[in-house]
Amino acid sequence: MMNTHRAVREVFGFFLSLGRKTGKTRVFALLGLVPVILAIVVRVVLHGRTGDMAAVFTEILMVFFLQFYIVILALFYGTSVVAEEVEGRTLSYLITRPIAKPAIVLGKYAAYSLLMFLMVAVSLSLSFFIMNAGRFADARLYLTFLSYLGVLGLGILAYTAFFSFLGTVLKKAILVGLVFGFGWENVIQYFPGSTQRFSVVHYLKSLLPYRPMGGGGGGVALLLFRLEPTSPAIAVLMLAVIAGVFLALACWVFRTKEYLYEE
Amino acid sequence: MTAVIHASNLSKWYGNVLGLNDVTLDIASGITGLLGPNGAGKSTFMKLITGQMKPNIGQVTVRGRKSWNNPVLFRDIGFCPENDVFYEEMTGWEFVTGLLRFYGYSASEIKERAAKALDIVELTKDKDRLIRGYSRGMRQRVKFAQAIAHDPEIVILDEPLSGLDPLGKRKLIKLIKEFKSQGRTVLVSSHVLPEIEALTSEIVLVHQGKILAQGDIRFIRELIESHPHMISVRSSDPRALAARFVGDRSIQKMSFGADGRTLVVETHKRDDFFGCLTGAVLEGRIEVEEISSPDDNLQAVFEYLVGK
Repeated sequence: MMNTHRAVREVFGFFLSLGRKTGKTRVFALLGLVPVILAIVVRVVLHGRTGDMAAVFTEILMVFFLQFYIVILALFYGTSVVAEEVEGRTLSYLITRPIAKPAIVLGKYAAYSLLMFLMVAVSLSLSFFIMNAGRFADARLYLTFLSYLGVLGLGILAYTAFFSFLGTVLKKAILVGLVFGFGWENVIQYFPGSTQRFSVVHYLKSLLPYRPMGGGGGGVALLLFRLEPTSPAIAVLMLAVIAGVFLALACWVFRTKEYLYEE
Repeated sequence: MTAVIHASNLSKWYGNVLGLNDVTLDIASGITGLLGPNGAGKSTFMKLITGQMKPNIGQVTVRGRKSWNNPVLFRDIGFCPENDVFYEEMTGWEFVTGLLRFYGYSASEIKERAAKALDIVELTKDKDRLIRGYSRGMRQRVKFAQAIAHDPEIVILDEPLSGLDPLGKRKLIKLIKEFKSQGRTVLVSSHVLPEIEALTSEIVLVHQGKILAQGDIRFIRELIESHPHMISVRSSDPRALAARFVGDRSIQKMSFGADGRTLVVETHKRDDFFGCLTGAVLEGRIEVEEISSPDDNLQAVFEYLVGK
């Protein structure tokens, strides 16, 4: 039998190649054009003016990425790691190969995460640099961009692991995922005290460059408002723990659970 | 007989539906036909052998090793599922090479094996087309190709001939027989008796999750011969046709259909009846619109065998 590392790599290659061609990827890649179009529109309206307004609209874009785009991507790709194989009945092709079952989950998770990250990276870089076109000489701009990209990357890893786990245990994982991603996550992050720490987005926001209300962002900074941010090191650690734990659980469930096709 | 596949007291149920019921069975090398009507438990048995399902009771072993959660086994097993499902966005070539990656072969070996498998099933010319655009027969063949591409010792084929045209069936039957001559083990399922008959004489009869019988196909042939066949003949003048059959000893019973144009005949000697029918049509100039056999399928035969 192939060692797990090699098996993960092969599954990764298989699904990266397949994932690029699916209709789902085309739809979500098109969705990634929304902030790009928005950035172009704003630039036209601003008539080349830069500064605070550009920064404000960049934050609006981040809300789109952080609280919508990566969540919806992770929801649809994460739950499909196992569920699409069961619903499509293609699971038989995978589990009758000489590879450990967890390698299937890990390889597919990695392939889909990379695919999502590429979609987000293209969309973010286009919209971000269009929005901040007048500040190319400012080195801080690139640092901000990299920190945004890094946060979104961590978000993809954590959310996808969680949704992958949901997809291994539930038949209607998408519904539960929708409630979690757009219900729980949107509400719980604004709860004071330790409750907000039960949301993924709390740790993601804790890593973003902080723009205090009343500062350059004005009232719009409320969109990225955070109550009591966790320190960056703890936030990264927590996101890594969330990704690791749910991925391990997904592997364990997939290895032990018997999947039956619906007749 | 050395059993390659061994099932002992194997039972599997889905909720309160029984899929397989206390099956104890040995399958040796060569071709074994798993014969039974739809829903008999053939696919369940194959999924248990290939480790896709976990038995509720009993166990199934392949070469002495349990198949559930034992991926090591799959280097020696090739499985062709019944369902017509694929990664539709892939080409035939990508599908076969993609699945071969999971065996640890080098890139050149993957290409070599995929090319050989696709050549065997005569899909070389169409290998770069999307599977989505394949005909049903081509889809069956590419499914077969992925099952044999790694050169397995044991090949499990779930309804492999379904959807193939007669020529395609003949070719696949020839291929499967070649596997036997190479000393491999082939387990093939079908609900169509002549298909299994063309492949092997060693059969396992499955019905309602139970093994009814195992052995030479000739005995079921004999049982089928004793099973009264119903043949329905739609013609312009069924009564005139019936009048010509009255004296024929091959016919046991006749009745008329509700539409007034159908004659339903029950006979033990189907061949004799068809000879008589041909004569009647030729001599009496009676126009026959349709001949069908409502119970000419395994379901009817099995119901007869189990005394329903």
